[in-house]
Amino acid sequence: MVWVGNREIAWCPGCGNFPIRTALESVLKELPVPPQKIVLTSGIGQAAKMPHYLDTNFFNGLHGRALPLAVGIKIARPDLTVIAVSGDGCNYGEGGNHFIHTIRKNLDLTILTHDNKVYALTKGQSAPTTDRGTMNNLDPQGNENRPFNPLAAAIVMGAPFVARGSAGDPDHLKEVLKEAILFKGTAVVDIFQPCVTFNHINTYQWYKDRVYRLGKPLPDRYEALKTAEIWGERIPIGVIFRDEGVMPRQSDRIIFREPPEDKALGTMLSQQHFK
Amino acid sequence: MELNLLIGGEAGQGLASFENTLVDILSKLRFRFFATKNYMSRVRGGHNYHMFRISENPVHALSGDGWDIVVALDRESEQRHKPDLKKGGLFISLGMTEELNKQAREKYGRITAANEILSGLVLSAMGCGDGDIARIEGDSLDPVRTGFSLANKWDVADRYPLSTRAGDHYRLDGNQALAIGALLGGCQFMAGYPMTPSTSIMVYFAAAALELTVHFEQAEDEIAALNMALGASYAGLRSMVATSGGGFALMQEAVSLSGMTETPVVIIVGQRPGPSTGLPTRTEQADLNFVLHAGHGEFPRIVFAPGSPAEAVLLARKSFELADRFQIPVFILSDQYFADSQQIIEEPLDTGIIAREYNVYGSDYRRYAITENGVSPVTYPGLGDALVRVDSDEHDESGSITEDLNLRVRMVDKRLAKFRGIRDEAIAPTPMGEADADVFLVCWGSNGPIVKEAVERLGGEGIRVGGLHFGQVFPLTPGMIDRYGLQRRKVVAVENNATAQFAGLLKRELDITVSGRILKYDGTCFTVNELCNEMRTYFRKV
Repeated sequence: MVWVGNREIAWCPGCGNFPIRTALESVLKELPVPPQKIVLTSGIGQAAKMPHYLDTNFFNGLHGRALPLAVGIKIARPDLTVIAVSGDGCNYGEGGNHFIHTIRKNLDLTILTHDNKVYALTKGQSAPTTDRGTMNNLDPQGNENRPFNPLAAAIVMGAPFVARGSAGDPDHLKEVLKEAILFKGTAVVDIFQPCVTFNHINTYQWYKDRVYRLGKPLPDRYEALKTAEIWGERIPIGVIFRDEGVMPRQSDRIIFREPPEDKALGTMLSQQHFK
Repeated sequence: MELNLLIGGEAGQGLASFENTLVDILSKLRFRFFATKNYMSRVRGGHNYHMFRISENPVHALSGDGWDIVVALDRESEQRHKPDLKKGGLFISLGMTEELNKQAREKYGRITAANEILSGLVLSAMGCGDGDIARIEGDSLDPVRTGFSLANKWDVADRYPLSTRAGDHYRLDGNQALAIGALLGGCQFMAGYPMTPSTSIMVYFAAAALELTVHFEQAEDEIAALNMALGASYAGLRSMVATSGGGFALMQEAVSLSGMTETPVVIIVGQRPGPSTGLPTRTEQADLNFVLHAGHGEFPRIVFAPGSPAEAVLLARKSFELADRFQIPVFILSDQYFADSQQIIEEPLDTGIIAREYNVYGSDYRRYAITENGVSPVTYPGLGDALVRVDSDEHDESGSITEDLNLRVRMVDKRLAKFRGIRDEAIAPTPMGEADADVFLVCWGSNGPIVKEAVERLGGEGIRVGGLHFGQVFPLTPGMIDRYGLQRRKVVAVENNATAQFAGLLKRELDITVSGRILKYDGTCFTVNELCNEMRTYFRKV
């Protein structure tokens, strides 16, 4: 069993989720809002257990559905800092449709995806981000599908903030996470998360040999898209795209604890009222 | 005295705008009426028809006694509906409607004036003259008068004189009633994906959001819709979704999520004939069992099925109060017939919005504190020092994931304990007809007013029948029906489905054996006449 403080944690010893947790925990502590004003949403999978291991509000929902939960919460409560955190299977597979449409809404929320390129909790099947040719119990002859590129997809969908972090570079990850959460608009962060049990290819060392930090984010979507496509011997991490010019879809209207007035509803009802 | 009118034509020929024009004028003049429609799943063409029953007495169903006036905007209307014209009734042929359209174009320069001319013709048939139409204002007035002269020309003026009118009243279709009930229930958030027959609830809510502190969000699919509603509910807004069977199928996992996380939500399921896409624009009551069993696992729920717009306002309003109080999903079963029927409500409506409490707790707050009645204290993120932690996994009192199997049992018992309070709140069915009759008709949802009028009509013929309309279909408790002694009577179920689903529920929950079944599943509603004929046949057999 692995313990952090007084909590027993359900992740494998050495899991890439640990450095991500540590980075996220320190970012949340540095935010200018108290934990009572932060809500994490998550789906199902090992990454989706993250909220249980942090001291804040959370709604740990269904597999694939971390994003619509986050949308509902953010619309209801613009005063809350909302962060959806789940794995690649959750956000890109089961919840792929929500990934597309949540980005389109451009609410002021953050989408974090632990990308370990494998379905670990179900013991090793292909994820949307699994490389072609990878063999496992459901792809005994090797995965035939091309991997999903979450960063390229997010840029094409118009996400105003697109970044990649790596559990193997926790200091850099922390900076990326903080910038993403403070960004005003939908921020998409894909996080390399080595799976020490089921992914023996994309290990800490594998990432260490390839990953390099980007400098300043690219202001041009098409240049950013080219960067998002870089894959192989060298893999960039950092903020790939950041568009300050796009205002988040956010109503100033606070409706929480502001129920409609009887009189206003009465005016509406009068259209159906005949005397 | 009453006037039964049918207008038929292709989609896109203006049937719906005629309905709107006529019911607007009828409402302004305070006539009692019931209007419904039968339409195809297409944007143009095909064959649609709209039906109106305008009466001196309150009317909440189609009589089925034949038409006094049939208006044909296409050939098919003549073939299909002229045979149902009453003896001496007026058939307005395609040629005649073309004449009417010509006048609209030539005299008023707009084809929509035809709706007003035709409305004038109907008013004249109802005995209205110049003195009666003072409340009609603006551009409509002259076309209505043109309708008067056409009525004289076609010899229909004053043929169905309606002298009595309604007093203070509301005019609502079923979906408007549900939306208004939701607003009165304090609902502030709705998410949805358009689907017939529930789309107009969303339209109403989206319009309301322009005036009121409520929000409508169009979701990418029904899965997202219910998850968004649960997110908003968790964050502190009373929330709802509306859909039909197919969309509801996509929502089921989130129904279960509502049950597990004890997040209140109201779910309106407007039924239409299935399975699968079925008949998208017609009516059926075949999703009762689906809604009763929707969502995996065991958790408490309430299912309402209002019969009239007034009851829909009341029960929709109540749904939010109960969803909140017991922290559960509450369902409202509607159907296409109910959704698309416009009528007037003469009973007073409770138009106060149900308030909500926002309790503040300290850092020792536990979202799932185990209590005697199963209901834990609730608060929302950002109020006080409490952290609100909710989980779809089995969880401990603080909301943390657990696989402690003893705790699992206590949590199941906690959730199900809420059933006791829910059962105490059960709303009794509405009785009709003779309370001591040997034969009792039972119905639920939109069949209520149809069965009520049929029971009264049969009573007038000396056929003694009682009836019960269930506005709450689940849970069913003995206390709801004790006084009717149904065990001693012959119970006949009236349902718009092929397998008598409610009859099965009565047997399972209350051990009541239904001996007769009157079922209809051709996609259309019952009429009073049809139901009376079925009952006369039934009495001949027993």
